[in-house]
Amino acid sequence: MKTILGARIRKRRRELDVTQANLADRIGISSSYLNLIEHNKRRVSGKLLHKIAQALNLDLEDLDGAVERRLLSRLDEIADLPEFAHIGVESERTGELIGRYPGWARAVAALARSERESTEIARALADRLTHDTFLGDSVHKILSGIASVRSSGEILVHFPDMETEQRDQFNRIIYDECQNLTSVGEALATYFDKSDEAERVLTPQDEVETFFESRANHFAEIEAAADAVKLSTDSAYAGTRKQLAAAIVEREFGDLIKSLLENGAHFETEIAHTKAREALVEYAVEAILVPMQRFESAALESAFDIEFLAESFAVEMRTICHRLTALPRRREFPRFGHYLTNAAGTIISMRSLQGLLSPRYAAACPLWVLYRAQQSPETVLRQRALFPSGRQYVFLARARHRGQTGFGQPRHYVTDMLALTEEDAAKTVYAPADNVPVERVGATCRSCPRESCDHRVADPLTG
Amino acid sequence: MEDEPNIVISLKFLLENAGFNVDVETNGKDALNHIFQQPPSVLVLDVMLPELDGFEILKRVRTDPRVNRLPVLMLTAKGQREDQKNAIEFGADKFITKPFSNAEVVEAVESLVSI
Repeated sequence: MKTILGARIRKRRRELDVTQANLADRIGISSSYLNLIEHNKRRVSGKLLHKIAQALNLDLEDLDGAVERRLLSRLDEIADLPEFAHIGVESERTGELIGRYPGWARAVAALARSERESTEIARALADRLTHDTFLGDSVHKILSGIASVRSSGEILVHFPDMETEQRDQFNRIIYDECQNLTSVGEALATYFDKSDEAERVLTPQDEVETFFESRANHFAEIEAAADAVKLSTDSAYAGTRKQLAAAIVEREFGDLIKSLLENGAHFETEIAHTKAREALVEYAVEAILVPMQRFESAALESAFDIEFLAESFAVEMRTICHRLTALPRRREFPRFGHYLTNAAGTIISMRSLQGLLSPRYAAACPLWVLYRAQQSPETVLRQRALFPSGRQYVFLARARHRGQTGFGQPRHYVTDMLALTEEDAAKTVYAPADNVPVERVGATCRSCPRESCDHRVADPLTG
Repeated sequence: MEDEPNIVISLKFLLENAGFNVDVETNGKDALNHIFQQPPSVLVLDVMLPELDGFEILKRVRTDPRVNRLPVLMLTAKGQREDQKNAIEFGADKFITKPFSNAEVVEAVESLVSI
């Protein structure tokens, strides 16, 4: 960073047409010392930096380089990309580039980010076409439907003497199967129509997530209604309280949820509508168990410590994760994304974090902490994750077993993973110190440019 | 063993017309119990079955000395090469792909009975 700082001071001084001697005089150092600073041969203390910033009429942030540091890590990332290996990018002079040509440096970083995002999106869509369970199911339904129609049709032709009752039965099969095939065909047509749209609403689950995203994962109407509910205090156990809350939601929240669904979104399919209702019911139950006002203060006080919060409210980790994603959009609250995955790494449900591309239908990058979490269950693991796009996130993962178990019985783990940007993580108990290593990860191997990664899995099609 | 009722009706009709006695099971667990208790002369097995899929049944049939020589015809879907590979690997005697013709099924079952 020194490289940037010196170049920056010199550039600004020249812009203002101030001589080295003049500036040195104003900040109370010798001009030879200033010369050393400008050539990055001396470190600058905070106090002196402050004086220089004042003299050059700059904000301290412009000089001490928080902005540049981010830019530098992005440009370093670009310089290391395997596709540029043969160009010989002068990575040792990145600091100088930022100091002397900040506009160009920003433009290169912005272009690279946009290129990387577009590529990731294109590859994610290609992944969907290959691994999409919706498409797989549809093909299966179509083939079975055709098999049935074909078989019944042949029977009707080849056995002209069969009894009327049997004939009617095969006619009915052909009629029913044609109806089914029509529905599958329509659903497929909608699916492909949608795949062109920017918001990429593709499957019922995607529709529900888009609906939640459109509300920033926060339903103030439900929060207000939940706030009015008082759970009787003698129900001490989480299970019991949860059942009680669920009964209240089923009894009293029906109209509210109905109106949210009617006014909030247009669902393409009945199944998306049903799933959205289920998600809102779950939201309401959790809003009763963990009232937002109390949660906001507890979250701030504990610096968003998820285990502490789960214990304080006597609820499951999953509920705390959901409530964190539902925090209102205020400056003091980080934005959380929540991803629930099974042992195979498939994302079962998510409240996505804007900008973080997550592979839904294929396995994610094996370096994501969510895979390690299953090696040490019930423990929160943290990861500083740097994506090829230059974006940096903090991932928090904790595996827990789901379902009944007992001695000698298998435990089946699911992992809750929270994602937040590095800047937001600074507001939490999970803020990584500077010396915590940053791990280079990707979205999926297929979409990852890190050719030399030891954990890279060959593309099944291209090897 | 097939879980799609309309295909079951057709297959049952066809095979009975060809002179076979047909027993139908629509879920994997029941199918397996049936096979062990009253082994058929030929097993027609769909890949997609609830509870236990066709491959799992095939594997258990092939590893149980009481029924491991039972001729098995597997129904898979076109384009699902993985399924077809598995069918052979796990020991199916034949597989046919949906959408199949009636003649194909009847011929396949007849050829397996005569083994």
